[in-house]
Amino acid sequence: MLNFFGGSHRMCSGLSRRSFLSAGSLCFGLGGFSLADLLRAEEQSGKKSTHKGLINIFLGGGPPHQDMWEIKTEAPSEIRGEFSPIATNVPGIQICEVFPQLAQRMDKSVVIRSVVGCKDRHESHQCMSGWFPDDLKALGGRPSIGSAVTKLQGSVDPAVPPFVGLASKTQHGPWSNSGEAGFLGAAYSAFKPDGPGMENMKLQSIGLDRLKDRRRLLTSLDTMRRDIDNSGIMAGMDAFEQRALDVLTSSKLLDALDLSKEDPKLVERYGDGKPYKYQYDGAPTCNDHLLIARRLIEAGVRVVSLSYGRWDSHGANFDLVRDHGGKLDQCLSALMDDLTARGMLDDVTIIVWGEFGRTPKINNGAGRDHWAQVSSAWMAGGGMRVGQAIGATNRLGEYAKERPVHMQEIISTLYHNLGINTATNTIVDPTGRPQFLVDHEPIRELI
Amino acid sequence: MKDCDLDFGFRYSVALLLGTLALLGLLALAPSGFAQDLQPLVFDTPEITLVGEDARAQLLVHTPTSTDGAVIDLTRNVRFEPSVPGLIAIDAAGLITPMATGALNLTALADGYSPAIIPIRVELSGVEETVNFPNQIVPIFTKFGCNGGGCHGKIAGQNGFRLSLLGSEPAEDYEHLVRESRGRRLFPAAADTSLLLTKSIGTVPHGGGQRMELDSHEYRVLRRWISQAMPYGDPNARKITSIVVTPSARQMARNTQQQLSVLAKFSDGSSQDVTRTVQYESNNLDMADVNASGLVSVRDFGGEVSIMARYQGQVTVFRASVPLGTLTQALPMAQGPIDVAVFDKLKALGIPASAICDDATFLRRVTLDIAGRLPSLEEVDAYRAVVAIGGDSPEAIQLRRIELVNRLLESADYASNFASKWSAILRNNRSGEDTRYGSYAFHDWLRQSFFENKPISVLVRELLTATGDAESNPAVIWYRQVSNTESRTEDIAQLFMGQRLQCARCHHHPYEKWAQQDYYQMAAFFSTLDRREGALPNEPKFGSRVAAATANHPKTGQALAAIGLDSAKVELANYEDPRGALAEWMTAPSNPFFAKSIANRYWKHFLGKGLVEPEDDMRITNPPSNPQLLDALAKQLVDSGYDLKSLIRSICTSTTYQLSSTANEWNIKDTNCYSRFYPKRLSAEILLDCIDTVSGSISQFDGLPVGTKAIELPDTSFASYFLTVFGRPDSSTACECERTNSSTLAQSLHLLNSKEMQGKLSSDASRAATWAGSAISDAALSPVENIRKTAPDRIRELYQRSLGRSPSESEQAIALEYLMQRADRLKEAYEDLVWGIVNSKEFLFNH
Repeated sequence: MLNFFGGSHRMCSGLSRRSFLSAGSLCFGLGGFSLADLLRAEEQSGKKSTHKGLINIFLGGGPPHQDMWEIKTEAPSEIRGEFSPIATNVPGIQICEVFPQLAQRMDKSVVIRSVVGCKDRHESHQCMSGWFPDDLKALGGRPSIGSAVTKLQGSVDPAVPPFVGLASKTQHGPWSNSGEAGFLGAAYSAFKPDGPGMENMKLQSIGLDRLKDRRRLLTSLDTMRRDIDNSGIMAGMDAFEQRALDVLTSSKLLDALDLSKEDPKLVERYGDGKPYKYQYDGAPTCNDHLLIARRLIEAGVRVVSLSYGRWDSHGANFDLVRDHGGKLDQCLSALMDDLTARGMLDDVTIIVWGEFGRTPKINNGAGRDHWAQVSSAWMAGGGMRVGQAIGATNRLGEYAKERPVHMQEIISTLYHNLGINTATNTIVDPTGRPQFLVDHEPIRELI
Repeated sequence: MKDCDLDFGFRYSVALLLGTLALLGLLALAPSGFAQDLQPLVFDTPEITLVGEDARAQLLVHTPTSTDGAVIDLTRNVRFEPSVPGLIAIDAAGLITPMATGALNLTALADGYSPAIIPIRVELSGVEETVNFPNQIVPIFTKFGCNGGGCHGKIAGQNGFRLSLLGSEPAEDYEHLVRESRGRRLFPAAADTSLLLTKSIGTVPHGGGQRMELDSHEYRVLRRWISQAMPYGDPNARKITSIVVTPSARQMARNTQQQLSVLAKFSDGSSQDVTRTVQYESNNLDMADVNASGLVSVRDFGGEVSIMARYQGQVTVFRASVPLGTLTQALPMAQGPIDVAVFDKLKALGIPASAICDDATFLRRVTLDIAGRLPSLEEVDAYRAVVAIGGDSPEAIQLRRIELVNRLLESADYASNFASKWSAILRNNRSGEDTRYGSYAFHDWLRQSFFENKPISVLVRELLTATGDAESNPAVIWYRQVSNTESRTEDIAQLFMGQRLQCARCHHHPYEKWAQQDYYQMAAFFSTLDRREGALPNEPKFGSRVAAATANHPKTGQALAAIGLDSAKVELANYEDPRGALAEWMTAPSNPFFAKSIANRYWKHFLGKGLVEPEDDMRITNPPSNPQLLDALAKQLVDSGYDLKSLIRSICTSTTYQLSSTANEWNIKDTNCYSRFYPKRLSAEILLDCIDTVSGSISQFDGLPVGTKAIELPDTSFASYFLTVFGRPDSSTACECERTNSSTLAQSLHLLNSKEMQGKLSSDASRAATWAGSAISDAALSPVENIRKTAPDRIRELYQRSLGRSPSESEQAIALEYLMQRADRLKEAYEDLVWGIVNSKEFLFNH
């Protein structure tokens, strides 16, 4: 179905392929590993090991915390809104009625109702890294989880980038930011399946035979002694050249992105999220992205980020949640079932969240406005202690009354689930100073 | 006295001495076995006094210096015999500790040597001494890593217990340890049950694991301190002023060891042996490592290695030179102080140099390094003609190479190449259309400055004192780009002095002497600078207001006057722009940092490896690989009036720079002695330009005239996947490290398979198209015969354009055969051939 190269391809954002390319960032993702990583990864290939993964689903615009995982039934009507809570399969935990399928999977998931530390800014940076864009800005900014993981863990498979950003370019740019490399530099950026890095993985105007001819010619002409270079760069070039040829012959990455290789029944189970409503300057509700994310993790990607829907509901909040929520209920429950069926759910963490919550009081247009005092998150998998609802807001949903959970605690938990200890791991910044990944510890209730 | 220690040492000594004897044989100093011919053992110090129960002293025993400067450490190979028993204890490593008051003579004995004697005095007061917290307890935390940045030393502490980073604030540490958490960490009534001790020896679970041994020296000091009810000690007690390592330098044989001893000197003139409390670090683990007790083990590599010792904010360095042991070769002719310094080291280390590279290689190498491009076909031809006339005498070779360097230095390409280099680290990039004018003007100012050969001191002065707006003075753009006082302070320290001050913004620099006070005194130079609205948005005006140049110390709040690093206060009137004084101080010949930092940066540009690496991190703990050479380069720069072209001329016409990259049997592993030229991968911009030149298809950049080369781009904001993937920096920091030359899969894919590359190879303007289009010169002959006739010249042209040399016979044959086999698709075959050349390492590297 989704085929980035064939004649008939469908792009979730509805943008043309051309605009995709011109808008495409310079990200190439594969840069992020060295020769040592390559050799290490090759040494490990053949050994069957399931790696840890993360699917970070960003709900750009700020989903209404009180209309998702904690319905404020006690609040007066100008605050409570139109939704009723429904029971889940965990006694005592109720969530919003638009998520019936997730409710039946509550025993495998966690809702956090008291997320704090948000900033009233429409951007994904905090959900991708735990930091504000201004943090360490002079050095290039803080790296996102995907970039940090690329730096710390490298690739599972040398031909598959460890960090893929699926968000297609949105008119409001910061909503489709897949997570930045920050001070780590472009080599640690997300691989974007719409940039030149992607194009280069498919044979261009020359065929494979001709490429092999060229290689033979190069081998006979490229006779410089390699051992005169002690820096390892020459040896690295040779190794990557061989690997590049392998990629061109068959690419796990391209296959993972190609949904025509997936069972149509499963594709149907995820749903297509159409018609795209309320999209305007934000991301579409592209259900395919969740399935692609699963395929990517299976192929060896560690971190997949994506942007789902436009939740900035200043007007018609409840219609929007009904539309986006229902679609999310479908694809997210499909993703959980899919990962469970493949035995991957314990290794893969799924998180669904946005940049902030929304005002308790409903405005004149049946909308809710920005509310950074408190927000919410939904998580599953990753070996966490699931079947919990953590924290609570006060009666009116204004602030975290119980167990405020800082956004960095969530990020720290995600690192923990990926096998990275945030208390000990540091990354050296360009000034030579070791920087901790986040300043908070993982959520103790979950690990 | 632990006899077993001595026995153990003795048994070892027999085995090791056999090895030592063999070595001595090499030195033609083998002991004959007769007493009168025996070599005497030597102690490093004439006498030792141990005062107080905590005193310790590391003995050092070695052979006398041989004629070639070699000394062999025998500390762990000798037997020690005290004249009076029971006064001192000696361990296997030669560390003595006091047991009872008295005086004795200690004799060191080893077979094959005559003994040495050292007098030792022990003075114990008999009264338990009061422990001093800053001088005795804090160093223990540092030694065991408790106050490291990854543990309790980080800003939030660890599990509620916080120490200052590497013990820089003893008073705060005392507060946290003794008073915090209701004093639960320490229990004077039963010192051994204190949490501090039980955690550190691991009897109570500790996130950091066991850090010290029960009843170790450190444990005993800590326990005594606790049982004394945790005295802080006299706040006016002696303060540490320096540490001294013995020996400070030594020539060592491969696969040998050297024990170090480290003495801390105090403000009251006293000193104390801290050999076991110091933290050691080797700057090259491939060559040597060092253990916690200060034993240095060098491995099988020749070269130089430094061992850093750090104690209480003080640092010192032990330098070991390890000769390769090959016989000194005839070195090529030395041209000046650069070669003298390099060759002296090669001689000392016994590393033979490679021969001087051939003329074709030199032409390509120096044109790439100075002008940032390949030599043109015409230049290759012209140079061949000069070579043919001049002949191969060393004088003729040197003469024509000097002329070549001079010609390149006068070219506009030289200015573009270095403007590109500096523009990136001066953070010249655009954040939007509004900033374009200033960005271009700044780049132009740089290019013009290099073209005119403006002395680097003048350029830096113009930059630092820039006033006005981009139109009147483009140098102000640096102030626009580097927009706050902290970044400016840190950038100039890194760019022009090789000092990384960033750490000292928030705390004492962990590896350097810089304190927060030093940082804010520097920052004060920028304190009067104002940014005002300019004629255009984002083209602000900068100027200094009338005010005292001060910055507040963040901890004490004290207003600090503007003072340069390690320098004295200069009286500044309020109406004076303090940046003038900053520039004055920075570019004065007496400034200890400026010339060395520039010289090192340029040396790295040409030789591929800085004398100090990274080139902008010139700490005492990161010493130059060849100090004599760094001094010579800095002196040359100062003496010439900070003339950059003169510096480049000296470097590029030195024999060292002209050495071949081809290794001989002995220097293949050399990475920092410059016994041969180290190949460098072409930087992103230069590589793109070179591919353009060879393929015949030029790249185009948004909004710039056709034919603008990548090396001429005014800033780093031009979209180009090629440049990004090959490591072009974003110009977001002042660090040269932002530019990367490492290899990646994305690069290989791009060279191998991108539309961009294939487009260049096959466009109508490409060389492949031209050559294939004119392949048939004689209609009477078959296509294959035509190729046989026309192709050899093209193959030669391709080699000369890309590699600056003619193809060898076999290369010519391979290429010709490839073309002839594809006579029916000759354009494609030429594309393949060009592709093969630009993907070869010989093309991708400057060698």
